[in-house]
Amino acid sequence: MVGVDLLRHLRFFVAVAEHRHFGHAAIALGMTQPPVSQGVQRLERRLGQRLFDRDARAVRLTEAGAALLPAARQLLQDADDLLARAQRWRPTSQVRLGLAEDLEDLVPTLLQALTADGWDCAPTVAGTVELVDGVRDGELDAAVVRHPAVVDGLRAGEVHRLPTYVAGAPPDPRDAPPMIVPPRRHHPAAHDQMVDALHRLGHSGTVIEAETMAERRAWAAAGHGVRLVLDPAQGRPVEDLPPLRVRVVTPLPADRRPGVDHDALVARLEESLP
Amino acid sequence: MSREDPVAELDRLATEAGVLAWVHARRLGPEPDAVDLDGDASVPMASLYKLPLAGCWSDLVAAGALDPTERVRLTATDRTPGPTGVSALLDDVEVSQRDAVRLMLTLSDNASAERLLDLVGADRLNGWLAARGAAATVVRRGTRASWRAVVTETGGGDLAEAPVRLADTDRDVETSEYDATLASATTAADLVTVLAAVWGEEHHGFVRDSLRLQAWRHRIGSGFPHDDVGIYAKTGTLGRLRHEAAVVEFPGEDPVAVAVLTKSARPETFQPRVDTAIGAMARVAVTALRRARV
Repeated sequence: MVGVDLLRHLRFFVAVAEHRHFGHAAIALGMTQPPVSQGVQRLERRLGQRLFDRDARAVRLTEAGAALLPAARQLLQDADDLLARAQRWRPTSQVRLGLAEDLEDLVPTLLQALTADGWDCAPTVAGTVELVDGVRDGELDAAVVRHPAVVDGLRAGEVHRLPTYVAGAPPDPRDAPPMIVPPRRHHPAAHDQMVDALHRLGHSGTVIEAETMAERRAWAAAGHGVRLVLDPAQGRPVEDLPPLRVRVVTPLPADRRPGVDHDALVARLEESLP
Repeated sequence: MSREDPVAELDRLATEAGVLAWVHARRLGPEPDAVDLDGDASVPMASLYKLPLAGCWSDLVAAGALDPTERVRLTATDRTPGPTGVSALLDDVEVSQRDAVRLMLTLSDNASAERLLDLVGADRLNGWLAARGAAATVVRRGTRASWRAVVTETGGGDLAEAPVRLADTDRDVETSEYDATLASATTAADLVTVLAAVWGEEHHGFVRDSLRLQAWRHRIGSGFPHDDVGIYAKTGTLGRLRHEAAVVEFPGEDPVAVAVLTKSARPETFQPRVDTAIGAMARVAVTALRRARV
């Protein structure tokens, strides 16, 4: 109980230090000012140090406050990390699977295929850079990511070329409006490769970066551009349109989470990808 | 931001460019200081072996063991092929040793480099590197043997096909030239050590002048688009590897040696964005170390 209070009061301390104002800190914390002031006072008693100099005009960190602030921030960060880790933790019977966000409609298809085979999957749908980091940090057991990506230090499978179709473009690609795509930071190398391929086709290479499939659909619906889609029913084929290249990545055997049959998982994913 | 934490900025630039990067920069002067991102990791060096080769040759000349004006004959039939310099010519060529060094450094001429490596000897070159504190660098083979390995490992056939196969966008094409334990390999820190050696002694003036005359400025040079800033540089390129080591000299400041080694996710031969990112990384590392000459 005391420990939980400590974290809560440290959060007040950091907020006040950042805002230099109790009222503003309270707003940022979604609270009223009195409990924030009381919390900081109780923290000062607990630590045996005065953290702030207060006068009518301003709140300033004391020397002790400035010295203790980094440790407070670190403790809060560690607490957040603990909570995030607890949330992500899964029993080994459950596989933590990453899927590139731009697989779009293929995401549910892949998960349905795995689930039908008896796999218990906890999916993460994100950009490729984030997923590759997740596999590298041991937070994911496998991921289907865009190719090319920096995958050194991981086991990477064969490259699958998924044909793409243009949803809503006029017949001549040189007249094509901007391409609505996921953000470049999700996969810088694959993004640049796609833009180069568009240039080669005579397209302006102008893109609109939108975070989610829903957002990309919204921008297309609003008439700002066209999308590359994987479902032939949703678009038209255009000759030499760049395919979506994807591959399955897993940790190297020595880094794999015990109890997960990575090889079987990879085999099933490879089989499910077109 | 870049001044406060250049390493985090280097990391960000590498991710942003879709490359793995190894960077080391050191101020050459009375109070050396360094910026480092995995600068001690062993990386295959491609044409960067030509840099220590020039330094070693220059020391052998200073010691009287080699004659810089001695003629070397690079015949059309048996010289090492390549895209530039004498390698790109059609007929027999005869140049002095020092002109061969100049062609090797300014144009990365493979034919000249191969002959100079024969003259100097890989063992002597590796001994020279170790004696100068660049012991993690080892020159295992010249350009001819490197490309022979690439051709064999990627499916045989003509030399001209090998780079095309390395650039396959639909699969990872592996070669021992990407493997630091099999190819000639170096570290970013070692390359800086080699540059410092070449900067440390008067008799390397010819090598320094040659580095300043390098024909291209698309990598590290792109980070310093200033006519009065001296860039003394050597590139190295093979498949997904794009490297450069340089001394950057702002007027009135201590020179800064910097090495940026990269391996790109993309396999394509021409990647101007990566070349530009190498310039940006060099600028971040060098900027953190700039200081007026005392």
